[in-house]
Amino acid sequence: MSKPVFIYVSYIASTPEKVFRALTSHEATGKFWFGNAATSEWKVGSPVTFHREGRLIIKGEVLEYDPPRKLAYTFKPMHDELYSGEQPSRVVFDLEQQRDQVKLTVNHDDFAPDSKVFAGISNGWPLVLSSLKSYLETNRVLWAPWYDKEKAEGCSAS
Amino acid sequence: MTKPKFVYVTYIRTTPEKVWAALTDQQTIAKYWFGITAECDWKPGSPWRLKFEDGRTADTGEILEAVPHKRLVIGNWQNQFKPELKAAGRARCTIELEVAEYYPGYGGKAVKLTITHEAEAEQGAPLIEAVSGGWPKILSNLKSLLETGDVAFDTQVA
Repeated sequence: MSKPVFIYVSYIASTPEKVFRALTSHEATGKFWFGNAATSEWKVGSPVTFHREGRLIIKGEVLEYDPPRKLAYTFKPMHDELYSGEQPSRVVFDLEQQRDQVKLTVNHDDFAPDSKVFAGISNGWPLVLSSLKSYLETNRVLWAPWYDKEKAEGCSAS
Repeated sequence: MTKPKFVYVTYIRTTPEKVWAALTDQQTIAKYWFGITAECDWKPGSPWRLKFEDGRTADTGEILEAVPHKRLVIGNWQNQFKPELKAAGRARCTIELEVAEYYPGYGGKAVKLTITHEAEAEQGAPLIEAVSGGWPKILSNLKSLLETGDVAFDTQVA
């Protein structure tokens, strides 16, 4: 049985700097990632955590930090017992300028063959990355139930 | 033996009616498909033809299913302008639209567009490789067009 790999490509009308900043900013991740705000010193080897409403959702360790081209960290969901038996996986973001657009490639791998996390992230990334694209292009994000409407629609990417 | 296939999901802040209109209107298709458009009356059994701006045929196929605002299936999809892709055989492309409740029971909603492009035979791998590069560009453009009124790319990039 081969190890699963998730790959998703999105084109965003933005700059690599802005996309990279959004992926690593506490404020921006808190908006487009449905409240999951990232905290890290963003140095190789340092921890990265995502908290939503004070609750630890994801934790990992920075593997690569090369603004504005590449970002990688290990990824372990902490909010659901369903995933507690699994080792951390790995997510890599590649940003490539193509004229006035950014090609963002997300490559998430290093899963066990029967990984439940893999099933979860395969549903989750298209939603999160669709929201990221909307956030950067329109200053609006996909709505999350724990946002009040005004807050979600009033989000600014500036 | 598995048939090679490509699956991509994007979430768009709009209505299924507007996505359907964008998928089936010649002028709108040309905006997000780099000048290429589709000639078709969008009825089951009808021929479907993708054509370049100069009128040359890019691809041919036929409509297998067309349920407005919900589901479009194009069968016998065959490339007509690259001999190596034409030789790779035919494919079937299914586009499904739903108002997705991505946090069931909470109320997060957007149009979820799922595209499944599957080769009819194992030797269709080059076809699927080609559409794996193309669909993210086209669907990123479609999302931008519907959310911002503009596309990310107006001409094809390498």
